[in-house]
Amino acid sequence: MADRRDVAAHPVYLGDGVADAEDQSERRFIERLARRDERAFNELVELYEARVFRLVLRMLGRRDEAEDMAQEVFVQIFKAVGTFRGDSKLSTWIYRVSVNLCKNRMKYLSRRHSEGEDELEPVAERAALDEAKGVTFGDVAQPDRMVEGYQIERVVQQCIAELDPDFREVLILRDLEDLSYEELSEITGLPDGTVKSRLHRARSMLKANVERKMGEKIR
Amino acid sequence: MTDPGQDDANDSSAHAATTPEPDESLRSMLRGALREEAPPPNVLAGVQKRIRERSKGKFYADGWSTAKHPPLNTYLVTSLMMLAILGISYALLSPLVGSPVPVRNQPVPVQLIPH
Repeated sequence: MADRRDVAAHPVYLGDGVADAEDQSERRFIERLARRDERAFNELVELYEARVFRLVLRMLGRRDEAEDMAQEVFVQIFKAVGTFRGDSKLSTWIYRVSVNLCKNRMKYLSRRHSEGEDELEPVAERAALDEAKGVTFGDVAQPDRMVEGYQIERVVQQCIAELDPDFREVLILRDLEDLSYEELSEITGLPDGTVKSRLHRARSMLKANVERKMGEKIR
Repeated sequence: MTDPGQDDANDSSAHAATTPEPDESLRSMLRGALREEAPPPNVLAGVQKRIRERSKGKFYADGWSTAKHPPLNTYLVTSLMMLAILGISYALLSPLVGSPVPVRNQPVPVQLIPH
């Protein structure tokens, strides 16, 4: 499994032979999962837990919700892995399950009028202000850049939380998870053109919203 | 809020031909705002517990033996403790067990008493 982990973490072109071996390895792994091999499933969780958690945290914006959701994602994967046909990569399928569950949870929270609590990490849990110094934004010509930068972070978090889940989904998958358009298309089930259009609009809306709240242009 | 469903109507002509890449300031702003501060939690134990409960014990019935790394130290320590308990028990109880003491008295001859 160590090899699989390395390849998953650093996707590079390995040549056809290695890629085939990799495919076969993944197929065997999926077969073990479909047989409900508990050790194989443990390996799957350990391999993907960080990525799944990071994704659901970005989607939901709350650490407690994200931890609960990450567990739920793997439970659903355990239940449904027998239906995975291998049309896409296992990682893409896991992303799809994660995103769909997150969107359902967001709708549920929205129905419960919990959107007001939909904040990203509370201020107290964030790093010290001096760590905000490394963050790069558009050039904000203010005397105290650290505090200013920290405020911008908060505004951006709010603006992301205010985005429609469908927009938030493509923005996070592309700009933060660095997935390809093909993978986005497989995850969302949308045509390539729609993905690009949605992404473009998501960025525009986010930028406009941030600029409106900050009262200045992002450069 | 803009309706995402509108994408389906006006997507292909406007954006399909181009690959919309964000300007770097927007991307770095996003990364800065959503960067991870704390390490991700270990969710394996929680996942195993949920599966065990929902499957009513069919899966992950014995959580500790199905862990990825079997707790060899636990097995070893348990075995050594059992051996130690057996040794101590033997040491304590062995003095109570001895071979039968031989009777040194000679048997008295039987005397028949006539009536």
